[in-house]
Amino acid sequence: MSLASRVYRRLAQAFPHEFKVACGTELIQAGEDALADVAKRQGTAGLIRLIADIAIRVPVEYVAEMRGDLRYGWRALRKSPGFALVGIISMGLGIGLTTNVYSSKWATLFRDLPGAANAKRLVMLQESTEGDLARASYYYVERYREQKRLFNGVAAFETGVPFNVTLSGEASGKPERVFGQLVSADYFAVLGVKAQQGRVFSPDVDKSGDAAVAVISDRFWRNRLHASPEALGQTLRLNGQLATIVGITPKGFQGALAVNPSELFVPITAPAELAPELANDVLHRRDAKQFLPLLCLAPGVTMESAEAALDGITRELDEQDSYSLRRTEKGRRITLLFAGTSIPIPQKVKPALIGFFVALMGLIITLACVNLANILIARGANRRKELAIRLSVGASRFRIVRQLISEGVLLSLLGGLTGLALAYVLARLNAHFSAPTIVPVEFYAGLDWHAGVFAFALAIVCGVGFSLAPALQATKADLTPALREGSALQLPGYQRLGLRNLLIVIQVAASLMLLLITGFLVLGIAKSSSIQTKFDPRTMYLLSLDPIRDGYTPEKAQVLFEKLPEIFKSVGGVSSVAFADQPPFSTEFEPTPMAAEDSSQSSKVLQSVVEETVGARYFATLDEALLAGREFDESDQRAQTSAAKALPAIVNESAAHKLFGAGSALGKRVRDDKQSYEVVGVVRDMKDVEGLSQSIMYLPLTRRDFARPPAGGIAILVRSDARTDVLRSIENEVSAVDPRLNIFYAQTLGEYLDRSRSALEFSVQTYGAIGLFGLVLAAIGLAGVTAYGVAQRRKEIAIRTALGATKQQVLRLVLREGAALVMSGTLFGFLGAIALAKIVSALANMFVDALSIGMTDPRLLAGAPLLLAAVALLACYVPARNAAKIDPLRALRQE
Amino acid sequence: MTKPNPQRFIPLKAQWFQIMLSLAGGEQHGYGIMQEVLERTHGKVRLWPATLYGSIKRLIEADLIEESDERPAPELDDARRRYYRLTALGRRVLDAECERLQELVRTIRVKQRMVTQ
Repeated sequence: MSLASRVYRRLAQAFPHEFKVACGTELIQAGEDALADVAKRQGTAGLIRLIADIAIRVPVEYVAEMRGDLRYGWRALRKSPGFALVGIISMGLGIGLTTNVYSSKWATLFRDLPGAANAKRLVMLQESTEGDLARASYYYVERYREQKRLFNGVAAFETGVPFNVTLSGEASGKPERVFGQLVSADYFAVLGVKAQQGRVFSPDVDKSGDAAVAVISDRFWRNRLHASPEALGQTLRLNGQLATIVGITPKGFQGALAVNPSELFVPITAPAELAPELANDVLHRRDAKQFLPLLCLAPGVTMESAEAALDGITRELDEQDSYSLRRTEKGRRITLLFAGTSIPIPQKVKPALIGFFVALMGLIITLACVNLANILIARGANRRKELAIRLSVGASRFRIVRQLISEGVLLSLLGGLTGLALAYVLARLNAHFSAPTIVPVEFYAGLDWHAGVFAFALAIVCGVGFSLAPALQATKADLTPALREGSALQLPGYQRLGLRNLLIVIQVAASLMLLLITGFLVLGIAKSSSIQTKFDPRTMYLLSLDPIRDGYTPEKAQVLFEKLPEIFKSVGGVSSVAFADQPPFSTEFEPTPMAAEDSSQSSKVLQSVVEETVGARYFATLDEALLAGREFDESDQRAQTSAAKALPAIVNESAAHKLFGAGSALGKRVRDDKQSYEVVGVVRDMKDVEGLSQSIMYLPLTRRDFARPPAGGIAILVRSDARTDVLRSIENEVSAVDPRLNIFYAQTLGEYLDRSRSALEFSVQTYGAIGLFGLVLAAIGLAGVTAYGVAQRRKEIAIRTALGATKQQVLRLVLREGAALVMSGTLFGFLGAIALAKIVSALANMFVDALSIGMTDPRLLAGAPLLLAAVALLACYVPARNAAKIDPLRALRQE
Repeated sequence: MTKPNPQRFIPLKAQWFQIMLSLAGGEQHGYGIMQEVLERTHGKVRLWPATLYGSIKRLIEADLIEESDERPAPELDDARRRYYRLTALGRRVLDAECERLQELVRTIRVKQRMVTQ
């Protein structure tokens, strides 16, 4: 009983101040009076009810109070719309950009694959030397699969596999090009993915020689089959062959490596006519290293122990393998990557990425919050009289602080709403400006409830956190002068290290850091992305053909490609035709390890060189004269390939230097995992659309490539001297040869480059906007603080003016303080940006190029601090000019 | 100034109705209201103290009841307690609510007669 009474009293004390004033003692009194009666009538259960009742009321009363605060705050904000607008915009920009970074980057990098129950335990292999995902032959996968103690399952798959799909199953229909995966039968079991309808593949059901089947993704079902309830059992025509739909994957699932979304899954037991990737009995050939192993760790197995064991097995297998290059590295040959997200991220890079994004988000939101705090401080000064009146008529300081915090939270919440809208717009824009790629690339860019919760939490935390200090400062008033008529205020004096000044220095430093970091990226990207062609890119036409997937045999395809140049040249104006396995200037991300074949030491060292396959007269079509040697001709294109015979190859300058050092590369030999090559020509380095200039070795397009075209089909480059559009005539010629042939990616080189560039430009502009946003915010904050400083020194300025100080002297007086803050902020920001850029480029490969180019640019290094300082001083100047206009008579009379 | 419309509060919340009903007879303090409700309902309805005072606070804010300055006879007065009474608006609201409930009872009676006949 006494315990119940004690608890009751304690809870009654916890009610909000207003409630206690209104009926606090009554409440305690009534409770204690009721206690005996309740205990008598209802026993312990009654006492528990009594306590529960009061325990529930406490938060209810607080919420009710807060609603009152918010209503009052809302009225206060409506009375000063200018202040409200600045606050909402600054919080909106801050929260919007942070949410955008969160939803587009954070979620892409760290969200589990949707629908995959085993996501947390999935790993893939990475070549230690290259940093790329390691491919293996199916033989390796089977050996890995034997390690039952380490892995619950090991699947093999190939991603970014194109299929020409006819939905109706009729041979005459016009096919669509859909990207999917070839997967081993245990693929879905390893991922932990169950079908939403029908079944997924399983090793017990799906065997070699069965009728062809396919599993489709939810997206395929909705977008292409219009969510038809009869989809299961329907037949599709894939690359001209019939296949039956047996299952639909869960919503959101787009395959492992979802960054390249897959809409279609075909088992690797399918016949080779259906998927040319499976031709030549690749499942049983140890040199066919084309599968990506996907492993699910057994419970309790760490990545380290699995990696050590797998490395040993792989070494052993490589030793037995005569095709493999002899490697001499001492460390791990393969490392494991966590593969449960849409992009596998190496463990080493992960902390750097997290750090970079946390720093970026933190910087943006800090800027916005510091700005909010600054304008709240300035506003607190303006409202000192109102607050003083409320304090003097008996409002508690706590009550007023709570009121001011409510206003801050309200601003921040309104800003959060604005920010969410902004993030939505950015996500839509982001999806719109995607770079043209052959295999579709999709970063998660949508907003979901995660992002909403994130923005909301951010708004609350920032609102409370950054309005607390200004609220405490505003209520620390000496009432008497504050209440005096004329509202000439006794404001806290100038402190060299005051909170306000500290905020300004932080703000200037943070916006300069933002400006510089984004500036480094902007300049880096912009500088490295201008492609110089030696001809008008609008006079080159690109189109792609994939006759194998239109039902051609390799022999027929070869004949077709030999015929095509002559046919195209019959079209008026066409001067030159060449083939390649991709459009020119495409970005290649996967270099191949290679070694020079000579007696010197360099033969033992593997070098990463990008391989590109190009046909006869490719460089002539691009107007690129060879620096030495010759380029490929029709006889290279026709040549039979075998592992024993060296193929001709052309290297660019940087590849030549990398492989053979100084001296002529002509006649030198080099080999990769499959083949040995003899250098017959050297070309200059050409930048790709992303502005990268890599070491490239050009291989001749051969029968092998015609038999198994790459994901984008065979790209055909047509140069025309005619001023008219010849694309239509070319397409007509192709249809005349065979109406079954599908032409895709038909465009001019100019259009192709523009599309690539617009995606780049969008990201450049986003970065630029972020930097600019920081600058604007800093300027607003500075103006507010200088205005506050002027209000504070009104009397001093009036006396100085009365004693004969000129306007210039007053101006200088006010500006001096602002300038000191701007200077120290600039210094810190400058050092911080350099340090951050160095850290980031040391840790993450992906930013190195852009940052290193940007960081050396003197325009930025000198320009950004100057620009910031100019804007900041301008922001100080406007209130300072007002200070110079102070009428000494009026100002002094008010004291 | 326009008179607040009593219909705005109809139907009344159960606790509000009980409190206002207790005050219909005259001024009463919080604990008294609690006891009165308990007796009137034969111990079936107990207004727990925190709920009671929460409701009283809101009733005052809604201008349905007010604190009374009239104290009962000194021998009955408990100086520590505050007394409450209905405002004019409160009285009208209570009347309107009673009217509504009577209407409801009448409807129920008619229905019952229809069923039994």
